[in-house]
Amino acid sequence: MIDTMLDVYQLTLRSLREVVRQPAFEVQNYFIPLFFFAVTVGALGNVSERAFGLENYRAFAMPVAILQGAAGGASYSALAMVTDIERGYFDKLLLTPTPRISLVLGRLFGDGIRVVIITAVILIVGAIFGTGMEAGVAGYIAILILAGLFGLAYAGFGLAIALRTGSPQAAQAGFLIFFPLLFLAPAFAPKEFFSPWLEFLATINPVTYILEGMRALISEGWDWEKIGAALLAIAVLAAINMPLALWALRHRTA
Amino acid sequence: MWALYLAPAALRPSAVTFVTLACSSTLDIIGVVASAIVARGLRRIFPPDLAAVDGIDLDIEEGRIFGFLGANGSGKTTTIRMLTTLLRPTEGSATVDGYDVVKDAAKVRARVGVALQEASLDLVMTGRETLLLQARLYRVPRGEVRQRVGDLLRIVDLEEAADRRVGTYSGGMQRRLDLAAALVHRPRIVFLDEPTSGLDPISRNTIWRYVEDLNRNDGVTFFLTTQYLEEADRLAHEVAIMERGRIVAQGAPAELKASIGADVVTVRLEDRNAQPDRALAAVKAIGGLTDVRVVGDSVVVYTKDGSSAIAPIVLALNEATVAVEEVTLARPTLDDVFLRKTGHHIEAQDREPEGVEGAAS
Repeated sequence: MIDTMLDVYQLTLRSLREVVRQPAFEVQNYFIPLFFFAVTVGALGNVSERAFGLENYRAFAMPVAILQGAAGGASYSALAMVTDIERGYFDKLLLTPTPRISLVLGRLFGDGIRVVIITAVILIVGAIFGTGMEAGVAGYIAILILAGLFGLAYAGFGLAIALRTGSPQAAQAGFLIFFPLLFLAPAFAPKEFFSPWLEFLATINPVTYILEGMRALISEGWDWEKIGAALLAIAVLAAINMPLALWALRHRTA
Repeated sequence: MWALYLAPAALRPSAVTFVTLACSSTLDIIGVVASAIVARGLRRIFPPDLAAVDGIDLDIEEGRIFGFLGANGSGKTTTIRMLTTLLRPTEGSATVDGYDVVKDAAKVRARVGVALQEASLDLVMTGRETLLLQARLYRVPRGEVRQRVGDLLRIVDLEEAADRRVGTYSGGMQRRLDLAAALVHRPRIVFLDEPTSGLDPISRNTIWRYVEDLNRNDGVTFFLTTQYLEEADRLAHEVAIMERGRIVAQGAPAELKASIGADVVTVRLEDRNAQPDRALAAVKAIGGLTDVRVVGDSVVVYTKDGSSAIAPIVLALNEATVAVEEVTLARPTLDDVFLRKTGHHIEAQDREPEGVEGAAS
């Protein structure tokens, strides 16, 4: 057990080291969310009070940027895993006595930590531009935790695709699927303003609750009901993606 | 005695060996030497019905170097992947160091070192990091990791390059690192999948030397696949020739060569459009030859006494109006064994498939 934990620790370090050595991969995870944040706030910021009754649209848009960054960060492992498989290095890892699951966990934790770092940077930029934080300093920490957990839960999906297909294109698609999920959630406007069909889809979309949980912390404070719903939604994602990743791993090693 | 006792575990006669001996009535034991690798009816079918490995038996004693010879696609890599637990056999069974490769896969993994084809390394890590991670995943005691990695880097002559990224290494350096990575936990059995393919002669020689030293000084058992006859000839105590998923010949290189029981006369015909069929018929008509085959643009004749067969062969070809470019006489090599058993040259397959016709021996 302790051996396995040490293995996971070493593999997590390896995952993080890769990113430090190939920073180009990481730039987009900062740039894209902040770019979207800037243009949506620029476009809707002035009308949001009249249109949606939102005084501070920056606060409303911030969680969208965070989830974009988190999903981008959580997709890195899938690509790295495909590279390992193509190079044959994954086989070398499979040949070691470490339990298979540590190969997956090492990648997942690597992604989780990177997501926390990306989120911290986005939060700092947001704070500079006046998103505020009703939940106080602890609210920042709560958002970092939510984002990190979301990263862990979401990364399993890309890993499953990577392990099952070994194809870089497919692993990329694992990331792209996040966009419909994000925009079928109240990303630009509150759910109450949605058409009924979109409102329905948003209601069954777990990303909605994660967004609303983070939003509550930023704009309202400690709304435990919404924070609880966010945690539950993350648990649902994890409950789908983790078994998927483990199934794909078993399949690859059969 | 103390020196022996204090030597690292890998250098001592392994206690595991005796345990294996004592409790392995199902294992084949020849004399007092335990089998390092045993396979029975090992088969792997890739859907829909490609039998990459089609029922092979192996008995490899401890402390031997076993050469697995075959062209690309003959099933060598699939065999190694099954023996090292990366691939499940479709049928049959195998044990490595006494452990079943399916049921006790984790125990097998902890006991063997493996270097896969084409040095499967992470290019972003440095050489030292590669070995450190490898040592930790193989549970080398924490206090020994640094020392062990330093020693290995020195042995494979990568001390200077140790802190550079693997991506900057030459092919030969990568292979050496890969070999070192297979040795971090001092395995008693090491699998090498084409350890020298694509390497220049100097790098190839270096790898051979490491293998020989480890085998001779530390008694490490090697299972290595190769397409190079020279490699098998120089390193292996025992060779198996693999062709389309089956072992077509097996034995010590000298035995195999002797089994041809003949000299080899190779007659190269003048141009590729010459009529090999006619040449074959003409030479076969001489009688008293062990075997006659057409390979590419040559007629290959196996015969007890090569020097006295040359004249009749040339005369027969002359009568059949087949022009001869060159005649050579040689003692049999592993290449001849391979040719005899499979009907083609091993290295020729790399370049292009050749039209092959064989005469019954």
